[in-house]
Amino acid sequence: MNGFLHYFLSVLDPMRNHGFSRAVTDMLSSELPSWWLTIVLSFVFVELPAIVTWLVYLVKPALIRPPLPVRPDQAEPLVSVVIAGRNESATIGKCIRGALLCGYSNLEVIFVDDNSEDDSVAIARRAALSVTRSGRDSDRVRIFPSPRRNGKASSLNIGIRMARGEFIAITDADSVIQYGSMQHWLLPFADPRVGAVAANIRVNNSTVSLLTRLQEIEYGLKFTFARFIQARLNLLNIVSGMGGLFRAEILHRLGGFDTGLGDDNDMTMMIRKQRWKLGFSIGAVVWTTVPVTRYHLVRQRMRWRRNIVKIQLSKHRDRFVLGRYGFADAVLAVYMLGARMLMPMAGLIGIFWVTFENGPLEAPQIVVTFYWIVLLYLLIRMLISRELAGTPTPVNFPLMFLIPFYLLWLKVVQEYAVICELLRIGAKHPYVPDHIWEEIPWW
Amino acid sequence: MREIIPRAAESNATTAAAGTGTAAEERRLNLLRHIALAGGKIAPDAEPNAEHGYAYGALGDDVERDLGILARRNYLEARFFDRVSLCPKCDSHHLNVREVCPGCRRAHLANDGLLHHFRCGYVGIPSEFSPAADGSYLCPKCNGRLHHLGTEYDRLGKAFVCRGCGLISENPPVEAVCFSCGARTPAEDLISTLVFSYVLTSRGAAAIRRGSLLDGDDELVSVAAAPVYRRKVILEFLDHEMKRLQHFNSKFSVLLVNCAASAMDQSGDASLTQWLTRLRQGLREVDLIGQLADSLCVVILPQTKQREAEALRQRIVAELGPQSPITLSTVEITEPRHLAQVLAGLNARGEPS
Repeated sequence: MNGFLHYFLSVLDPMRNHGFSRAVTDMLSSELPSWWLTIVLSFVFVELPAIVTWLVYLVKPALIRPPLPVRPDQAEPLVSVVIAGRNESATIGKCIRGALLCGYSNLEVIFVDDNSEDDSVAIARRAALSVTRSGRDSDRVRIFPSPRRNGKASSLNIGIRMARGEFIAITDADSVIQYGSMQHWLLPFADPRVGAVAANIRVNNSTVSLLTRLQEIEYGLKFTFARFIQARLNLLNIVSGMGGLFRAEILHRLGGFDTGLGDDNDMTMMIRKQRWKLGFSIGAVVWTTVPVTRYHLVRQRMRWRRNIVKIQLSKHRDRFVLGRYGFADAVLAVYMLGARMLMPMAGLIGIFWVTFENGPLEAPQIVVTFYWIVLLYLLIRMLISRELAGTPTPVNFPLMFLIPFYLLWLKVVQEYAVICELLRIGAKHPYVPDHIWEEIPWW
Repeated sequence: MREIIPRAAESNATTAAAGTGTAAEERRLNLLRHIALAGGKIAPDAEPNAEHGYAYGALGDDVERDLGILARRNYLEARFFDRVSLCPKCDSHHLNVREVCPGCRRAHLANDGLLHHFRCGYVGIPSEFSPAADGSYLCPKCNGRLHHLGTEYDRLGKAFVCRGCGLISENPPVEAVCFSCGARTPAEDLISTLVFSYVLTSRGAAAIRRGSLLDGDDELVSVAAAPVYRRKVILEFLDHEMKRLQHFNSKFSVLLVNCAASAMDQSGDASLTQWLTRLRQGLREVDLIGQLADSLCVVILPQTKQREAEALRQRIVAELGPQSPITLSTVEITEPRHLAQVLAGLNARGEPS
């Protein structure tokens, strides 16, 4: 163990500065096919699209970040912003004001309070009053205090049922729509085949702690950059509940969200199955509040991963039938199964197996070489993401050295969640009320 | 109250014979008598043709104004009876007040409520759920049957559905349409006016007994609602203090209290009363305070020298603070001519002596 630590620290020492050169040498001199496969596949699937996107951006920026057309106000379609929340008194005021003042005039806000125990409704009414000068429902703000707790999906359905816009934006109560974002958000709908557009989710509280800074980098790479590329390849697998804009006709036709966890993931799958395209807009920025403590982050990520397993593997398992919902959907299904579940698990097992092969931590050079390669890949994507989307912020760049450890830790958490979900350990989540949970089917 | 009436009638005859009351005062006195005859209380009756929808019987046109004046002068006690909303354009109370759709502003709303199916999460108005043969409902989303309220589905509180545009609203805006001028006004912009019932006070009863309103200087000891003697009373005390000075050489001082007219105009009598009450609290029990004119009071400080009076003045000024509209000045009275000079000075300022 001491030998491993000594070796690891020695290659991290900037004065000696032979970590990366040694990693490259190790990589080039290696004769293991699995080693080469790992490096090359990750480069092809992760780095190459990023580099190609960057090159396109250099040549023709409008293809990546399309400019806003000059349109008269009359042409602006009505957008209903639906917010569902429970005990969100700390953030709901800012959320409603942000939506009303986002620079888009033809907009209404519907807040559905899921039987909060705090003064969310009063704060929401005050926020509405500060903008619309009316404490009651108006043509711009409607507030529905639910008399009973129904869960997020049902609360969103109330809001969707009340919405009268041509487009419905779903956002969390702790998220804020950036000024000027709505126009960018609507741009992809110029293509009539696009059914929903994911927003560019950015971290609102990134300066609070080291954990939130690391999440800011992660959001920049995964939620901004990766989703942009996925959308271009028609492989976007989620329109996040933190910021998603939908054609209202789709949501109305589907009858809203299904109850249970993973509403955004589920809705995305249902829309894909109807052969709608999903878009992503870099310019549509929605700022969200991320967990500050490790406990809350672990809970959030476990919930997310369990939802993916439940929704993608169980409820929508018919997507694995090639051709049933189109080629892209089948590719996406295989990608989700392989890249999100099997490969991370195999990677984790591989790392531990190689590390412990000749006794505990006696072969650290493989781990260290991996570390430097991952770091190189990360740096390339962070620079390109920064160039294209303005995130992550430069002040967080030095934390890049911690990102591999952060992601490794999250992988452990997520794989644990996958195992729990497959074995249905602790399936009931407190986010879903008991009377709803008892009624919903298990797919 | 029964005792009052014959006395009131008697005193009325006396006063009328003397010819001392003005027409308005006589009218108000008659109003007090009418209230006394009605049992000491008068309450408004709904009257659609009245200006504000309420009328106080057949008491005349100026009755509301007179009642207000009498209540301000403590002959009557005003008690809240109702609040009437008026059109801000024409002051009419003929209003049609109702909820309107926040979208299309039409009043064609139905309080249908929303149904929520637990199994699939569908939310819709009841008419969307088609009834089944067994008395249950079918969910339009999942075709599941809704048998039991509370376990399979639920009603989501109050929700108004617009029959015109279909918009659903939980707390729709309230709007009034004026039947007189046709103006549409949001409820929060309507003019509100309070309607009171009135109860005869002991002071009102005393006025009836005497046959005149009791506002003359010689009828009351204190200014209404303030711990201050009326002018006639304080002049009597001054006269008495002068006699003590002449007989016992008991020198005294007076504190002249000037109230800023601008402050009085802005904050009204209630504010001035509060300041005078605070001033009274700062004085000794043996000190006497009375009103010489509307904006002038005098404090008699028995057996007090100029130096002590000045110390008292400074203490009171400090207690009242810089916001006070009151200015104080001291004068020691050691000879009768000193007081004569003070009163002459007041005459020069136009104040009655």
